[in-house]
Amino acid sequence: MSEATPVSQFTTLFDNKTLSMLERMRLNPTRRLTNRSRGEHLSGKGGTSTEFSDYRNYVPGDDVRYIDWNIFSRLNRPFMKQYQHEEEMHVVLILDASTSMDYEEKFQRCRQLAAAFGVMGLLNFEKVSAYVCHNRGGRPQQFQPTTGRGSMRRLFEFLTQIEPGGDSPIESAVDDVLRMHRGRGIAILLSDFESFGDLQRPMNLLYSSGLEIFGVQILAPSEVNPEINGDLRLVDSESGQTLDISSAGDLLGLYHEHRSLLEEHLASLCRQRSGKFLMVNSGDSLEHVLFDQLRRKGWVV
Amino acid sequence: MNFWPGFYALQSAWYLLLLVPLLIFYFLKLKRPHQRVPSLALWSQVINDRRVNSPFQKFKRSILLLLQILLLLFLVLALMQPYVQSGAERAEYLPILIDCSASMAATDSQSGKTRLDLAKERVSELIDNMLPDQRLSLVAVSSTARRLTAFTDNQRVLKKALTDLAVDDVPSQLEDALRMTQALSRTAPIKSVLFYSDGNFPREVDFELPFDLNFQLLPAAGANIGITSFNARKNQAGNWDVFIRIENSRQADSPAEVELLQDGTSIAKEEVILGSGDSQRLEFSVAADKESRLEAVLNPGSHDSLAADNRAFLTIPQSRSLLIYIDPELASYRYALADNQEFLVYPQENNSTTPPEFDLIIGSTEKDLAKPGLVKLGIGFIPEELNKLITLENNLTDVVDWNRSSSLLRHVELADVQISQQPVWLENANVEDLEALGYEVLIHGRLGPLLLQKRTAGELEFYFLFNTDRSTMPYRVGFPIMVSNLIQLTLQEAGISEAQAAATPVLPPLALQPESQYEIVTPTGHELRAESDDNGRVSGIAALHTGEYTVSGAGADNTKISVSLLNPLETSLVAVEEIQFSEVPVTATEAQIDSDKPLWGEFAFIAFLLLLGEWWYFQKRPAGTIS
Repeated sequence: MSEATPVSQFTTLFDNKTLSMLERMRLNPTRRLTNRSRGEHLSGKGGTSTEFSDYRNYVPGDDVRYIDWNIFSRLNRPFMKQYQHEEEMHVVLILDASTSMDYEEKFQRCRQLAAAFGVMGLLNFEKVSAYVCHNRGGRPQQFQPTTGRGSMRRLFEFLTQIEPGGDSPIESAVDDVLRMHRGRGIAILLSDFESFGDLQRPMNLLYSSGLEIFGVQILAPSEVNPEINGDLRLVDSESGQTLDISSAGDLLGLYHEHRSLLEEHLASLCRQRSGKFLMVNSGDSLEHVLFDQLRRKGWVV
Repeated sequence: MNFWPGFYALQSAWYLLLLVPLLIFYFLKLKRPHQRVPSLALWSQVINDRRVNSPFQKFKRSILLLLQILLLLFLVLALMQPYVQSGAERAEYLPILIDCSASMAATDSQSGKTRLDLAKERVSELIDNMLPDQRLSLVAVSSTARRLTAFTDNQRVLKKALTDLAVDDVPSQLEDALRMTQALSRTAPIKSVLFYSDGNFPREVDFELPFDLNFQLLPAAGANIGITSFNARKNQAGNWDVFIRIENSRQADSPAEVELLQDGTSIAKEEVILGSGDSQRLEFSVAADKESRLEAVLNPGSHDSLAADNRAFLTIPQSRSLLIYIDPELASYRYALADNQEFLVYPQENNSTTPPEFDLIIGSTEKDLAKPGLVKLGIGFIPEELNKLITLENNLTDVVDWNRSSSLLRHVELADVQISQQPVWLENANVEDLEALGYEVLIHGRLGPLLLQKRTAGELEFYFLFNTDRSTMPYRVGFPIMVSNLIQLTLQEAGISEAQAAATPVLPPLALQPESQYEIVTPTGHELRAESDDNGRVSGIAALHTGEYTVSGAGADNTKISVSLLNPLETSLVAVEEIQFSEVPVTATEAQIDSDKPLWGEFAFIAFLLLLGEWWYFQKRPAGTIS
């Protein structure tokens, strides 16, 4: 996290050095789901970009401008040069801003990661939009799809002004977002995924909408390694519901088992949909997450 | 042994009612601390999972309550003062007699512990296992009985008295201790008495037991060899014959080396091997013109149980002639002593001077016997204080009986001796009247005593109540024998020709200045005070330990007296297994007393462990936490 004064920093979310490093990174989707509109993201189809892809035989009607005349002079046969098609990819940032994220440094890390992914998208001429979900059934707070470096400051301001609070579970949040969103690309889900509901349905909805799922589970250190003991009354920060537990120390083993199972389940859901999953401890440093974890997991190049 | 515990303070069970407030507080307590968590989603799964997997969930929920209930139960049990009943009769007031005679210092080769240490261990165990209603009294048994504590349940006092108890180098007198215990029974009901001893005391005890005596015989000690006698006698050549008696206990054959030192210089050595129970008398010849200090050192060649009897000390006096006063009219006595050059007999014909004090005075009048002397023999008159009891008549009489074991009359035959003077009892006078005045009758006549003996402080007096010259006695063989006995007695009293090592339990009489205060420091550092009598004799000083006694006071400039010999019975380590009392015998038992064992300490300890367990359980680091 930035320790410099806000005056000298471009954003309060991270320092300029981190920002400059982020500017050189780009997202690495698996399936390259792109939009038809022209962009800078290689679609895998033949196109008109300057990046050479392959040769093919000339057929009548082809644009003679793409004939490789050097080969023609040597072989006396026309061959067409093919180029990569660069299309625009939509990067959708879905931020869970329910009250459960307002715990220790969870939401701050959520904002930082969203900003980092946003920077990577904008600096690579992708279309970036963000949805912040607070309350169940409510309209998510939206950052309109935008592109280009010039939108970076606006994105930072949008993320900075978000206040967490609400009871929106992640499955309901995805429903709300898909009602508003159009476009293919990748959906980066930033949430703690601590939901009583079924997580399979929102994943299916995202996938069927042409969005590759990048799931980021953000947990606080006390959620990763809770240190509690004795007889306690646990209070849900979202619903205010309580749960009495005795000999909490004895339950921690089970808690770790269940947390690991949830993590594996989420990773499995993402993987089955050609997506990626990452669990982030908000107690870890941002640099470690961005430049170590994301690189090692193949999220960015 | 009854394994069902008894409870001394059963009323403490009322404290179990504390369970009620404990349970009430437990169920009313728990304002559970609130812990805010982001979501209960995971925790709900955890709880549901545990309910499925843990059949003892309810038990685990209440484990703290269970620990608290157990803690309270054990505390209440400890308060109820449980004890394991031994089955033996439990005495409320129990005197414990502990033998601390010299033989109790005997060690064994295995443990190296003294018998007294073993006794202390056993008594200490009894003290530890005392029940609240029991009172113990410790009595030390040596040459006298000493009550160490009154009846008390104060373990600290009992333990201290037990710790302070030490061996006295004297034989034990069980009778004294039993009489003291009998006296104690007047203040407390005593049913039985415990007696810890090695059995080294006379088998027969003149005492009627009013209570049960439990004689706890301690294990026998190892072999012992020791000096039981050390004396010297001047021989005719003017040297001293020194006699040392070595005795061995009955346990095993023992080799040893005896060394004799004169004024710190070794003058003789001799090796001896004594069989089981054997004794041997060693004789050495020592030349000494002046006062000389002899020391006999016994170096055992194998394990020796007692160290106190391995050294003995003896002081040889300076040589001189006996000073004898004989009334010139008593020609028969002068004649009997005329040839011996070692005597100076007064009054002398050509020398009118007389010494201020005589060793022996033989006189025919009260005036003669008024002279200062060690041994006095009055002839032919009745002492003034006996004039009311006996009168002298001029009748013929003879000897009816005499005390043959008397030192004066040893080997003296008095039958058929005719006497022309007859002492006669006055009306209502008898032997008891004489004994009341300190006299002992040595020769009985037909109508009255013929020879009396009286021991006063520092003096030995004999009175022939008839004139021996007016009898046939001087013409009998017994007369010179009697005079010889008299001379030997005088030599002994003067300490000129014989010397004997001092033995416990009493210091030999000391001749000092009359009516003076003296301070005696014992080998253990205790200070005793004594006063000399009119004749300057200090006697009756207890010598409970072997070693050097220092006497200080008027005329005694730190005089050293060495006491070294033990009673031979102590050296022999002979143990009796049965005490024969006046009516019943008491057989020793080697089985230790099976006392009730209090359990409150164990229960309190378990309660403490439960408290620690509860604390650990409450404070333990959560399971599964990554450190």
